[in-house]
Parts: sequence; C-alpha cells; structure tokens
Amino acid sequence: MALWIQITPGSDEPIYLQIVEQVGETIAKGQLAVGDKLPAVRKLASELVINPNTVARAYTILEQTGLVTTKTGSGTFVANPALRSKDTVGINMLADRMDSLIVRGLNLGLESQDIIAMFKDRLEKFIKTRQGGRRKNG
Amino acid sequence: MAEYVLEAQGLTKFYGSKPAVDHIDLKIPRGCVCGFVGRNGAGKTTAIKLMLGFLKPTAGSSRLLGCDSQNLTPAIRQRIGYAAEGHHLFRDATIGNLAGFHSAFFHKQLASAKQGEAGWDGKLFWDMIEYFGLSKKQKIKKLSNGQRAQVSLALTLAPNPELLIMDDPTLGLDAAIRRQFLEGMIELIMHQGRTILFSSHILGDIDRVADRIIVLDKGVIRANCTIEQFRTAVKKVRFVFGQSMPETVDIEGLLHSRRADKELEMVLVGTADEKIAEWAKSAGVEEYQIIKQNLEDQFIEYTAPIGQIRPFAWEAKQ
Repeated sequence: MALWIQITPGSDEPIYLQIVEQVGETIAKGQLAVGDKLPAVRKLASELVINPNTVARAYTILEQTGLVTTKTGSGTFVANPALRSKDTVGINMLADRMDSLIVRGLNLGLESQDIIAMFKDRLEKFIKTRQGGRRKNG
Repeated sequence: MAEYVLEAQGLTKFYGSKPAVDHIDLKIPRGCVCGFVGRNGAGKTTAIKLMLGFLKPTAGSSRLLGCDSQNLTPAIRQRIGYAAEGHHLFRDATIGNLAGFHSAFFHKQLASAKQGEAGWDGKLFWDMIEYFGLSKKQKIKKLSNGQRAQVSLALTLAPNPELLIMDDPTLGLDAAIRRQFLEGMIELIMHQGRTILFSSHILGDIDRVADRIIVLDKGVIRANCTIEQFRTAVKKVRFVFGQSMPETVDIEGLLHSRRADKELEMVLVGTADEKIAEWAKSAGVEEYQIIKQNLEDQFIEYTAPIGQIRPFAWEAKQ
C-alpha cells in the first residue's frame, strides 16, 4: 500500500495538501473503494520520510471533507459518498483550477464549444474507466 | 518536566564590536521538530554553541531541559544529543572503539537506566551501523564523508536523547545518504516526547521533517512559528497598473517592493488576502496575482537584503 502516494517536498504545494489531493484522486478513480483502509499515520510518515504530524493533518482534512472516516483504535477508512459533506473551500479551489484550464484552452485557439465538448468527452471516459477499475484491489 | 525543553532570554554574543547573536528570545516546546535556518554567517552555530554552554554569552541566558546552559550537569547532558557541524570523530579509532568510548558515558543497557536517565541502546547503534552497510572494524579515517556522518548520527541517536541538537547534519552528503539521515530523524520523532533542533540550508528537508521553522537573520530571530504559519504569512504579489503607479506604497505587512515599468512586486508578511484586494482597488491596480511560492523562495524573499526590511518575529498563537 501507499505506493500510490508520491510527494514532492519543496514544491509550492504544501506536503499535506499533496497527500489530500492524491488520496482524493485515488478515491475518485475508484482505486480505493468505500470501506478500504488507509495506511496508518506513522507507517505512511515512515514510508514518505515526512513528519507524522503532516500526515495526521492531511487525514484530518480528508475527514473534515467527509472523504474518509476514522474509527478509534482501528484506523482510517474511505467513507460512504452519501455521507460526504459539502466542501465549499474545495469547490472554490476547483473553480480556480477550471479557470486556468479555460485560459490554456483559449490560448491554444479553442472556441468555447470545443472546450465544453472536450471536457464532456474526458469526463465520460473517466467515469467509464472508474467503473471498470472499481473494487479491483478491494 | 519542563514545558519548554529549550529557552533563551536576550541571549547575546559579541565578537569584538559586532554581535553574532543579538538578543535572542526563544522557547521550544517539548516534542517539536524545529528547522533552524539562516543564511551563511547568520549566527546559527554561535547560537547553538551558546545554548549548549560551549560559549559564554556576552549577555542574556538560556536553559536546556530546565537547566542553565552555563551549568549543565552531566545528568542533563546525557539526555541531550549533539552533532557538531562537520561530524568530527577520532580519525584513528574504529567504529567499535568509538561505540565503546561513547557508551561508557551512559548506562550500559537502556533497560537498566532509571526514569529520566539516559542509557546506551547498543542494539539501536549496531542496527543502524548494519543498515548503513558499515562494520565494527572499519577505521574512521578510511570512511567517506557520508559514512562518517552516518557513524556520527548513530553515536548521537544511540543514547536515545530527549533533546537532539544538530548543526547542519546533512552538509555535504549525497542525496541518498541525506535521505537515510532524514529517515533516522523520522524514526526518532516517532518516539514520544523527543525534541529536535537542526540547522540546514536545504529548505526541502525542513519542509519534510520539521513542524516549526526558526529564521535567524544577522543574529536576530525573525520568525519562530509553524511551517504552515510561515507559508501562509509570506506572500509575493504582482500588481499591474493601467496608468500611473502611486509614489508611495502604504500597505500593512510590507517587507519590500520592486518597481518595473507598469509592474509592482511586493513581498508581504501576514497581510490578509482581503487587505490586498482592498489596496489594489484603492491604488488603481488593473490586475494582480498572488504568486505561489515554495518554502525556499519564501525564505529567500523573507531574508532578502533589499529595500526596507522590518524586523519581524511572531510566536505561534497556540
């Protein structure tokens, strides 16, 4: 486990956010399914060679956004999506990222409808692979 | 148990008429990992030597584990691990000789040490030596710089120190050995209540293992806060003006600014995003951008010797 997390220290993205994003991505892609266990804080800290507080902080944020849930004594698990809370900060960050993609698209000479079509196409492909890959390691 | 494992009050050292360390006030709580950063000649080594009682301060005082630095008892010293810059070891000794020499200062077995006493963990020492691919009979003078640093780390960690002070421990080490060194530090952090203060020029390493950052600049402490507080506080912003730029810049937290043509670049400390937006509106800014920076960029901007610099130090609110 945990091989799917790759951090870059000294990047402009704080390490705890890198972990939050990568765990989130793994869950979105269905590589981690509901009920799957995340590595223990100390184990992941050892593997990534980072301060355990950094991992703990990432897990706390993941828990606050409702992606994972912590059961005292037994660990951290991927939560049921039905129970996830609305994460306004996360949604605002997503909007910012979309803006930068739009800028790139326009600079490449694409029209609005091209960008929309491309986004729709990628989204459909993503959902398909996600359903295919679901529970592969569950 | 002392709440703070390291405390300094007005700690000062003059070399001639020049202060190398200038009225340092510092409190390091138990269990934290502090990255001690500053440019060459900022006074890091002098500060460390003062705190360990190797140098006499011109003014002020400091305490380690609740005991005055100038009067550290052997019992207190046993609980402090110190790795000097450059990893100086007896060149004619073998690794086995050094282990014998160092362990003689401690209880032979960790288990036989009473509460609050330090004991030599021989198993930990030899496990580390084996992990580093070294052996008992090797002579120090035949080792590479990296291997000497590894022996030094094993000697420093074997007594299981409560407080570990390391002066630029990864200086001159290659990337792989540096990583092993950091792994050793992480393992130590996992032990409850262990506190580490280490200086380094590699901000990426500080980002990895530390939870606090202490910035020393020309002998003065300019920041002592969590890494996250530092990362959130230091901001670089680029403003683009449609027409004329204001003559003077008056914004809370301004550290320094650079002007070029229709652009104005500012380094701000602790200025809220809303304040930046407000200022931009009032100054007639056409557009502006808060530039994402890594810890190293932020450190360089923060200690840059250009423009107006306001000494700045703040304690964590908690």
